[in-house]
Amino acid sequence: MTTQNGISDKFKNILLRRELHVGIIIAALLAFLYASRGINIILTILIQVTIFAIITMSLNLESGYTGIPQFGRVAAVIAGAFAVGGIPGRIMASFMGLPSGREYTLDTVNFKVVPEINNLLASSWLMSLGFLIMCIVIAGASGAIIGWLISRPAIRLKEAYLGISMLAIGDFFMWVGHNWNLLVGGSTPANVPDPFRIFGAARFNVIVPVFFVIAIIIFIYLNKLTRSPFGRNLRMLRDNELSANAAGLNIVKVRTQSLVIGACIAAIGGGLYVLYTGSVAAIGMTRLTFTFWPWAYMMLGGVGSNVGVFMGVFLLTILRTMIIIFRSQWFGFLLAVGIDPLWLEFTLLGAVIIIVILFLPHGLVPEKVEAMLPANRVKKVMAQREL
Amino acid sequence: MAPWLSSGLVYASGLALTAGSVTLLYIVTRTFNFAVASMATIGFYTVYTGVTLFGGLPYQYYPFAFIVGSITGFICYYGLNRPLLRRQAIETTLMMSTLGYDLILLSMIQMYADFLTHTYKIFPRRVTMSLFDFELFGDRAAAFILPVIAIGFLTILHIFLTKTKFGVAMRATIENPILAGASGINSDRVYLVSWIIGGGMAALGGSFMAMAMTGTPVMGMYTIPLMFAGAILGGLGSIYGGILGGLVIGLTEYAGVFLLSQQFGPWVLGYRMGIPLFIMAATLLVFPRGLSGIPLLKIIKNFAEQKRGARA
Repeated sequence: MTTQNGISDKFKNILLRRELHVGIIIAALLAFLYASRGINIILTILIQVTIFAIITMSLNLESGYTGIPQFGRVAAVIAGAFAVGGIPGRIMASFMGLPSGREYTLDTVNFKVVPEINNLLASSWLMSLGFLIMCIVIAGASGAIIGWLISRPAIRLKEAYLGISMLAIGDFFMWVGHNWNLLVGGSTPANVPDPFRIFGAARFNVIVPVFFVIAIIIFIYLNKLTRSPFGRNLRMLRDNELSANAAGLNIVKVRTQSLVIGACIAAIGGGLYVLYTGSVAAIGMTRLTFTFWPWAYMMLGGVGSNVGVFMGVFLLTILRTMIIIFRSQWFGFLLAVGIDPLWLEFTLLGAVIIIVILFLPHGLVPEKVEAMLPANRVKKVMAQREL
Repeated sequence: MAPWLSSGLVYASGLALTAGSVTLLYIVTRTFNFAVASMATIGFYTVYTGVTLFGGLPYQYYPFAFIVGSITGFICYYGLNRPLLRRQAIETTLMMSTLGYDLILLSMIQMYADFLTHTYKIFPRRVTMSLFDFELFGDRAAAFILPVIAIGFLTILHIFLTKTKFGVAMRATIENPILAGASGINSDRVYLVSWIIGGGMAALGGSFMAMAMTGTPVMGMYTIPLMFAGAILGGLGSIYGGILGGLVIGLTEYAGVFLLSQQFGPWVLGYRMGIPLFIMAATLLVFPRGLSGIPLLKIIKNFAEQKRGARA
């Protein structure tokens, strides 16, 4: 009898979980989109979800777990994007004896060199895989370096000062990329060699699972990390800086570690984004797309909960896509007075932020108090202690 | 006047007002107001609508810009800031809430620009406001009129804060909210008035800045790091500090670009945003609490004492 009760309780618990409710809504919306527009729109959504989930999870590590007001997420994303745009292509070109120095990113040279690299990559899957891994490693390394450099002056500033200086640094990076054409071509976007060329027309179908696997690996890594003693340090720092200091925590060191790991992951997200689009347009790396949207995703999903972040990214990306593809059907009244319904995307973003702050302060899937160890292991440890 | 100085003065007086607005709202409500960007753009579009649809000079529509900005500040306070202040939300939450408001305002500005294009067949997406200006002493009039308006506005604000009863109550709330509340000052009304003044100042500043740069719907979005840099340079301690910070940031940007492009060539123009940010970083390294943290009075006193000592 008792086991029966236990099972039904467990079942009830599962049914009442917020994750399940949000998941059902997401599945319903996806099914609706699939029925009305076909599979391609689903694939586009999935790619965006994976890239932005990576970026938002890194933001969650810094802002959600450590409590740093990271308003310059775009800086690390730009570091990854520019590194993938500038470095791996040059390495390949120098091995192939093509122009690889300063002239690589000039538009007259770039559009001849990159197709040749692509031809080479398309000839062997091993080389494509190696190129992809090289891109990810370079993106992560440059992100970590940039994150460390930014953290040096920023780490000692207080809340608002810190957030605003990061915002300014992010904007400055964008302008440097837009004007300095050696880096990634400046105002004429440089092309990026495509490791997925080998699959030809099926490129899209392959990108989705590959990116998804990368996102899941990062998700598992962050989940492990935030449950480790290091993760508890982060939360201690967020909840009360004074008591963390009193407990002997080196605040500057922990903050720096969090910023460097976050920047590394965000840069990988930026690198994947560039590989997916195939070119680096510096002017497109705005703080709206890569700082404010991730903040909205994180706040909707739930600050300090990685599952929630995934759900938030999924839900908002679907809503965004729906505004874009149904703009003439649903918002014809706006078109009648000459207004482009695409601006509703900003309204949606702003409204989501405000509604979440006012009525749903903990997000869709709130942060849970996590046990440090599974219950049976705690019991074992306690039993050993008593002996 | 040299061309860089005249446009620099126009731009800097606009930036001074917006930075002052950011500082005012921060010291009164602890809110770092992101919506200052869209409020500034709204001020510009109010003036632009007046000039193109009803004619006349831009200057005569500045009162309307102030009023429209005040209304956006009023809505922001009642809809958003008041519930959060009552809940004693943390600084980051307050900041994010104004960001949400800013994005909604931005989408409305964009829709309004579309509406203007469709209905009146004008082009509000790339506007050179200085075309509507007139000439004074062989230079553009804005270079003389706008600093005068800004100084006049600040004088009125100063008189309001120091001579009127409500202004004194406001300063008391800024200094110590709990004590002010205990002595019977209605802090709710103080917050409301500061949002109204702050919104109006931001809109006025935006309409000033449009006289020196190209007016676009995203103009506030591009300049908001500079507005914040001005406020931070001022030290986020007093309104006058913020205004001074904005002035310094605006003038150094124009002067720096002028000097460096003469020295190194026109490619410097692309990195113009770096100059004020560099100055902000350098100032914060030397004076971590901004310009208002410089112990000016103490320095003068020391200097005077030294002189006296030398005489004795």
